[in-house]
Amino acid sequence: MERSELLLLLDELLELEPGTMKGSDSLDSFDGWNSLAAVAVLAMADEKFGLSLEPRKMAACQSVNDLLGLFGDRISPEIRG
Amino acid sequence: MTNPLELTGRTILVTGASSGIGHETALLLGHLGARVILVGRNQERLAETLRLLNGEGHRVEPFDLSSTDEIPHWLKGIGASSGPLHGLVHCAGIQRLRPLRVLGSAVLQEVMRTNLDAAVSLTRGFRQKGVCAESGSVVLLSSIMSLVGQAGVAAYAASKGAVNAVTRALAVELAFEHIRVNCVAPGYVETEMTAALWSSLTEEQRSHIESRHLLGVGKPRDVAYAIAFLLAETARWITGTVLVVDGGYTAH
Repeated sequence: MERSELLLLLDELLELEPGTMKGSDSLDSFDGWNSLAAVAVLAMADEKFGLSLEPRKMAACQSVNDLLGLFGDRISPEIRG
Repeated sequence: MTNPLELTGRTILVTGASSGIGHETALLLGHLGARVILVGRNQERLAETLRLLNGEGHRVEPFDLSSTDEIPHWLKGIGASSGPLHGLVHCAGIQRLRPLRVLGSAVLQEVMRTNLDAAVSLTRGFRQKGVCAESGSVVLLSSIMSLVGQAGVAAYAASKGAVNAVTRALAVELAFEHIRVNCVAPGYVETEMTAALWSSLTEEQRSHIESRHLLGVGKPRDVAYAIAFLLAETARWITGTVLVVDGGYTAH
């Protein structure tokens, strides 16, 4: 999955307009970011990627980029033409 | 005085016997003299439970309980080969932590199938001629999540609330067949299943849950004792009840 697609999934989970989240944004800047949203991300990672993210690592995430980092190589580099 | 929990001469089938509450229940029932039929998906782990069991005559029956419609026929075969059953304990269950925003029908149905459909099909199979002895006791596994709310557990809570309801309905339906039906509603018990859930919680959430259990969080043996009580003569006048075993969680 491309990074931009994952960002759209996260927008949806936090009920934001598509394209709202940017990598450099602080997670705390979003009203919808709370412990339940974090659990929703864990569930999404499990269902869509088969990934078991560590809650402690997620709790340590400050920015959207930190969060994307947890998905590691499951995010393919963007191909720009 | 004889032990009122004595189960010598009784044959009891336990699902989910490869781990957690089911594993511990099987060991306790063996200790109380029962012949235990161990059911689960993982044959290797069932064999390990079997190795630890006290007494003789126990056996392993690997079966995938998600094939719910096949359960009555499968139990008929067990009745034919092992003789009539005196008890059924359904410990196999699953928990999926899903906040509502990501709770799809696939997950909801998966949880309902294992926690509810299998419970109903097992009881349906158990009551058949040639499967149940002249009287029997069914113990299903509920949860305090069927009684109190918690964020993220709607699917699990729904399945366990349904277990409470079918416990009462089936208790009425099967009383005339001399079959008692009860369920146990545990609070947080340390098992492999709950360890996965526990690891997804923050430190703050964990200490909140711990503080709600006035007697501390539970061990599988705490629930196994309640199950044995419901199976034995000690509960001969008890049917259709939800026995809460939660260290005081729902007392406040």
